[in-house]
Amino acid sequence: MEKHEAIKLVLEYFPEAYFVSTCGHISRDLYNLKDRTQNFYMVGSMGMAAPVALGLALTQPNKQFIILDGDGSLLMNLGIMSMIGHQQPKNLIHVILDNGMHESTGGQKTVPLMKLTNTALSIGYSFAMEVSSYKEWRKNIPTEGPILIHIKINPRFEKVGKRVEWTPQEIVTRFTTDLQAQKELLV
Amino acid sequence: MNSVAERMLAVLKDRGYTNFTGVPCSLLKGIFRLIEEVSEKSDESLVYVPAVREDSALGVASGMYLGGKKSVVLMQNSGLGYSLNVLTSFNLIYNIPVLLLISWRGAYGNDAVEHDIIGAKLTNLLDSVEIPYQEFDCNRTEEIVLQSLESIEKTSRPAALLIKDQI
Repeated sequence: MEKHEAIKLVLEYFPEAYFVSTCGHISRDLYNLKDRTQNFYMVGSMGMAAPVALGLALTQPNKQFIILDGDGSLLMNLGIMSMIGHQQPKNLIHVILDNGMHESTGGQKTVPLMKLTNTALSIGYSFAMEVSSYKEWRKNIPTEGPILIHIKINPRFEKVGKRVEWTPQEIVTRFTTDLQAQKELLV
Repeated sequence: MNSVAERMLAVLKDRGYTNFTGVPCSLLKGIFRLIEEVSEKSDESLVYVPAVREDSALGVASGMYLGGKKSVVLMQNSGLGYSLNVLTSFNLIYNIPVLLLISWRGAYGNDAVEHDIIGAKLTNLLDSVEIPYQEFDCNRTEEIVLQSLESIEKTSRPAALLIKDQI
């Protein structure tokens, strides 16, 4: 699967969800594919998309949060999986876009992520699946997490889209404003 | 008379700081024990998330802030090293405030050798990235904590409270 197809698939399957995307090309790809107020783009702090999303999921249990992680950024902070497994947030979905490389810095090989779904289940995720094509995507993903979806994607050869044009502070404002508005709707 | 940790927690809770995460230090033994105990009571709104590393704690606390909760990260000063990237490439550019409760090992120059350098340079490090800090004084617990919280709320940036003696 191509990276943009994988991101589109996740957006289509979880249309209401709030996304926290990891730094580098993944945040840029999400931004260029579909900029929405529910997207929280990390521009730095590699490895921190998952902790930020965990904090969000724990404080906003009625909303769904997606971590759009890369293989490199997950590997940088593999320990966070034990915290997710411990906290058991039902509303958290950890998506790993795995192209086997640090694409944002020129395509250097990453350390391979072997049997990540086994690791996830052993460490406390309630469901985990690995997909490398559309037809492998299961339509019966449980509604309660924490869930891990390991998507094998192809290396990309075309040029990456533009950088996120929102300032970091604008990203915070529009994201939190959206979260609060949603809260008021529920009341 | 309540313990210093109890008085500190009371001020924090009173000001809405109910979410805690971090990595322990022996100087923070008392407040960690208290937070663990209180968070396990079902009638308490206090949340404690044990973290694997200080940078992850900072990430979780920041996510909690985005979710609408005021949060506190507890760590030893050694953990500030791990946290510097998150502070400089996340909290300080997105304006995401959290209270950093940092134990200051090596503050008196006679601690275990691994604390010597970070102990001597702690305030230089904080100054270099413009994180305001205060030295905690157990005779002025409420006043000092409130000053740190005021700094956080005025600037929307993290502030550090440095703990030199066991609480």
